This record gives sequence, C-alpha cells and structure tokens, in this order.
Amino acid sequence: MFQLKLSLFSQTKSLENKIDLFHDKIINVAMTFKKAISVFLREQRSEEYRKLCKQIKNIEHDADNLRREIENQLYSQNLIPDLRADVLELVENLDSIINRFDEVAYKFYIERPEFPQEYHRRMKELCEQVSDCAENMAIASRAFFRDVSTVRDYSQKVYFIESESDLTSGKMKEAIFDSDMPLANKLQLSGIISEVADIADIAEDCIDELLIFAIKRDI
Amino acid sequence: MDISYFIFLSSGLFLGWSLGANDAANIFGTAVGTKMLKFRTAAIIASIGVILGAVFGGTGASKTLTDLGEINELAGAFMVALSAALAVYWMISNGTPVSTTQAIVGSIVGWNLYSNYPTDTTILLKIVSTWIICPVLSGIIAICIYICIKYILKNSKIHIIRQDLYTRIGLVAICAFGAYALGANNIANVMGVFVEASPFHEVKIGQLNLSGTQILFFVGGLAISSGIFTYSHKIIKTIGNDVMSMSPIIAWIVVFSQSIVLFMFASQGLQALLQAHGLPSLPLVPVSSSQAVIGAVIGIGLAKGGRGIRWSLLSKVASGWVLTPIISAFICFIFLFFLENVFNLRVYH
Repeated sequence: MFQLKLSLFSQTKSLENKIDLFHDKIINVAMTFKKAISVFLREQRSEEYRKLCKQIKNIEHDADNLRREIENQLYSQNLIPDLRADVLELVENLDSIINRFDEVAYKFYIERPEFPQEYHRRMKELCEQVSDCAENMAIASRAFFRDVSTVRDYSQKVYFIESESDLTSGKMKEAIFDSDMPLANKLQLSGIISEVADIADIAEDCIDELLIFAIKRDI
Repeated sequence: MDISYFIFLSSGLFLGWSLGANDAANIFGTAVGTKMLKFRTAAIIASIGVILGAVFGGTGASKTLTDLGEINELAGAFMVALSAALAVYWMISNGTPVSTTQAIVGSIVGWNLYSNYPTDTTILLKIVSTWIICPVLSGIIAICIYICIKYILKNSKIHIIRQDLYTRIGLVAICAFGAYALGANNIANVMGVFVEASPFHEVKIGQLNLSGTQILFFVGGLAISSGIFTYSHKIIKTIGNDVMSMSPIIAWIVVFSQSIVLFMFASQGLQALLQAHGLPSLPLVPVSSSQAVIGAVIGIGLAKGGRGIRWSLLSKVASGWVLTPIISAFICFIFLFFLENVFNLRVYH
C-alpha cells in the first residue's frame, strides 16, 4: 500500500515535470528563433544560422516526444477526466506554435530571402514581438496548470503584443510594396513576413481557447 | 430458529437492496459519474463501509423508528418493510431519487393507522423536521467547505495533476466515510422494525462481541451491498450531474457534506460529546442521503451565484419527497388489510 502511494506520487511528479519541460521548450524555441533570424539578417545562410536551425529542429523533436508522453500518460492513467480533453488540446496547440517556429526558420534557410538593410530593424522587432507572444503564451499556459487566476494577466499581454506584431508586419509590407525592388522579391518578402506574423496569430488563437479552459478549470 | 422469521425478513432485505441501489449511489455516484473512481472500486469500498457502519454504529437511529411505531407482529413488520421497499422501487424505476427514510416512516404511520395505534406526533414531528434540517444543514456545510477549498486552491497553487491525485485519494476516503455514515444512519430503515422479534443471539468472535441486533444489522448490511452492486449504477445517471454539472472536487464536497450530516444524525458518541459540553445536539434519526445530497448540491450552486442549477429537475425530486411517505403509507394500509383478511395473519395485537 505504502509502495503504491509512493508510486502514485512519483508518477504524478514525473508528469508535472514533463509538462513543465514542455513549456520550457516553447520559451527555448522562441528565444532561439529570435537569435537565428538576427543571425540570418546579418550573415544570411551561414554556418551559425544552420546550427541554430538544427537547434530549433531538436527542440521541436524533443517537444513532440514530450507531447506524446504527456498524452499517453494522461490517457493510460485516466488522469484529470474532466479536463483531459482541454489539456490535450492545449498541449497540441502549444506544439503547433513550436512547429511553426521550426517551419519558418527552415523557410528562411531554404528560400534565403534578401531583406534590404532598411528593413532589418523592423524585421528584428517583428521577431521580438512574435517571440514575446509565444513566451507569454507559454507562461499563461503554465499558469493554467498551477495558478489559474493569473492566466488572464498573461493573456492580455499576448493580445497586446499580437496586435503590435500585426502593425509591424503591416508597415513592413507597405514599405516593401512601395519600394522599387522586383515584384517577385516583394511577394517573397511579404510571404515570409506573413509567416512570421502568423506565429503571433496562432498564439492568440491558443490564448482564446486557454481562457475558456481556465473558466472550466474553476471549481 | 424459526424459518418463518426469515421469510418475513425477506421484505426488509428487499428494502435493504433498494436502499443500496438508491442511497449508496448518493455516496459514490458523483465520483463514478465524474470518472474519478471505477464503479467496481467504489462499490467494494462502499459495501465494506456500509456493513461496518450498520454493525458498529447503527443502534442509535433505530431507536427513534421503534418509538414512532412499535410494530408488535412479525407479519406487520414484514408488510411495513415491503411497502417501503415497493414505494422506493417504484420511484427509482421512474428515475426519481427517493428517500428510504420517508418510505419507512410512511409505512410505519400506515401501520399505526391500520392498527389504531396512536402515532407519537412529537417523534413524527422530530423526524419530519429533519427532512428540512437535513438538506439545509448539508447545504450550509457544503457552502463552508466549498469556500475553504476554493481559498486553499487559490493560494496553494497546486499543480492540476497533483490536485487530481489528491481529489482521488479524498474521494476514496470520503466514499468509505460516507458509506459508514449511511450504514450507521440508515440501517434502522431496513432492519429497525425487525429488531423486536430478532432471533439472533450474541456471538463472540475472538475479542469481538456482536449482539443479536448487530448480527441482524450485518444481514441488512449485506442486503444493502447487493443493491449497491446490482442496481446503483442506474441511479448514478440521475443524481449528481443531472441536477448540476459537477467537477470532481465539487463531487467530493457534496459527498463529504452529506456524510457529515448522516454521521451527525447517527453518532451516539458525537451526541454524548455535545451534550457533555452543554451544546445543542441533533436527534438520532435516520435521515435521507438523497435530501442531504440535493441540499449540498443546491448549497454549492448558490455559493456559485445560483447559476447552473436545474430547478425543473429539483422540483421533480422534491415532489418525490412529498409523494414517497404518502404512497408508502397507502400501500402499507391496503396490504395490511389483505394480509389480515386474505391470508389470516395477525399484523398487530
């Protein structure tokens, strides 16, 4: 009996750690992405950028494994039956943000878009904003598991930063299409900017759902 | 032992089965309904708890029922228990959560009316007053526990997974305590009318002495267990989530409040302790676990601002509470007439 209790507590602790680790991965991937784009703008497809892309891929891979383990454990041990579906959806949503970081970083690697110097500052600003958005999303999600009353505070940050990122990406696109560069380049840069800005949009969608989950989590 | 006693006892066992099917679902129905406990696990824990409660804590509340109507013929006791059981069975087959206590009280009054014995109105009023006090008290206790738990959860910042583990452990513990309280409080409904004519003698098992009444209550406990295993899963569908959707923590609060109330109305030790300190004590009366559950659910619903309570279903439940004693008394009266005039059995003297 005593052993059974210990085993239950250790399994619980292990799952808590996995969920925490999963959130760490989002923060890691967001920071690495920000650094990678900064390197790309400075050095294009350099060895350092390639390494950072590989790092993002590894984080994405680890996050996938953690997601599977969390999902398996939740189902096989029949945990949190009333909130399980919400938690699974939340984990899937967070994973989709990590995947998107990986896809965008890889797109930069494949397409090698050439941003003129005058757009670098705004591009870095946009990357900063989407990273902040994802980080705050991760913090809000972590709060959902431990301190549900603070979810709303972080959600407001995500909403604010997302609208800022929309403004930044819009201004960038306007400036690009007003410039003299060839249309093909304009379309390529516009597409890339949209992809980057989409990360913040996904985070915002996740937050919308998270707020509903938080209401359901209240006893 | 007289074999006819066991034939007459069968109606009490049937009532025990009905109680197991109906009232035990109140104990663990919410835990099973919210998928926090498996039905089998909950049923085993509840059965053990009910039997222990019946054998070791059941004598207090049974005296009140005996005082209400001292049924002095075995055939009469048979019909009182059978009428209550039929009333309960009829109500639960209609999907209405019903009170076994009200059914047996109705039957006893039916017997009193038939046999022209006066009904002690003081005791009757004492019992009927608990039909109001019990849900109100349960509701108040539930509100207090709800506020405490909410405060603790807000400030402790327990991880959702750990909270799930604690809730499960809490549900198992409360399922055992609730079943004990149910056995202690409600065994009087099942076996109370047979105590006078009990043929069982004292038995010594090692250091343990069991009186004849305790053995009778043990048999009643077994009947309740059979009701738990065979039919309670059908009642679980009605109680709990139908009145108000519940989280596992709310389920725990509901069962805890209900168990406390049942225990308060059954424990001789608690009564003696309160009296010894000059505090007001509650009468030892069999109360309805259904009423306690509904009281707790409404209490929490009100603490949440009154939203989410399905008042229409509650009115159906409340109408069941009014109808049960009336139907039970009516069935008892009619059947006593048949038993006496068709089968030529003495139902009172």
